[in-house]
Amino acid sequence: MTRWYEDIAIDEPFPLGSHTFSQDEIIRFATLYDPQYFHIDPQAARHSHFGGLIASGWHTVSVGHRKMVDALFAEENRLREEGLEPGVSGPSPGVNSMEFKVPVRPGDTVTYELVVTDKRASNSIPGWGLLFNRLTALNQRGELVYRAEIVGFSKRRDYRMPTKLRLLQALTKVPVIGALLQRGT
Amino acid sequence: MPNPITQDRRHFEDLAVGEVIDLGHTTVTRDMILTFAREFDPLPFHLDEKAAKASLLGGLASSGWQTGALSLRMLVDSFLGTVASAGGLGFSNLKWKNPVMVGDTIGGTVTIAELRRSSSHPQWGIMTLDFDVRNQKGQPVLTMRLANLIETRSAAA
Repeated sequence: MTRWYEDIAIDEPFPLGSHTFSQDEIIRFATLYDPQYFHIDPQAARHSHFGGLIASGWHTVSVGHRKMVDALFAEENRLREEGLEPGVSGPSPGVNSMEFKVPVRPGDTVTYELVVTDKRASNSIPGWGLLFNRLTALNQRGELVYRAEIVGFSKRRDYRMPTKLRLLQALTKVPVIGALLQRGT
Repeated sequence: MPNPITQDRRHFEDLAVGEVIDLGHTTVTRDMILTFAREFDPLPFHLDEKAAKASLLGGLASSGWQTGALSLRMLVDSFLGTVASAGGLGFSNLKWKNPVMVGDTIGGTVTIAELRRSSSHPQWGIMTLDFDVRNQKGQPVLTMRLANLIETRSAAA
């Protein structure tokens, strides 16, 4: 899905759309994953310094991830409609930083945006590249809800496996040699 | 005015760097993985066994965000719900070390790595927590450093 590693532009803003958080879904998520009183109990939450119920940061981030996945699918469809073969995104190895700024309250609308700030070939997984993604989430007043630096895998279209690696991979498919090679690693 | 919800809980002054919190355990079922993935991470390798086998994950695995959310839930049950927590500030160096597969049981520890008073808001302390979450084979699945606000009993340093 989405573009190939080679086609991903650095610093191009990629709008991911918006989501409005209802009180019910805030409580539903937090009851499962972050049942602190200011995320699940509107009455008790008044005593917190937030002065009322707020969404778990993990909830706003999970929704941000969903928006990104939806955007990847939309990009895949767009490329197919143009008769192009889309690229392949892989799982994420991690998040360098995540800063929660302004809390999300029931009825707030959060707008998400992704920018790829850098990319490089993966050292550990041949044929894949690493994307350094910055995700920002703003509320309806333009206040920063969170900012994240997330790393993602993306498949390289133009990758050619070095002859040595290709030979090794071919040899692992020969039963006896393959077993020997497996034992050796 | 003391917060009636948190007044009987442990506060900033009651915590010490080096304290280790046992997270207990959670077993991750196929249903849990599919329910979370449908709402937040509908990528083929979190929804479909065949696509998962062909992916880098090698089988149906939980969304990394779900692994994090389940780790957070274990922390709330074992610790954050017993202290005067005032919300998360964020986290850094989150690493998904190994995928969490259907039927895996995850658990581990969280260690208080740092405690300092907020200079701008002396009624709060900032505690830094290091997560070490592992599967039933002892393999690491998630590490991260979380920063969380905690109420102080007295704003005087």
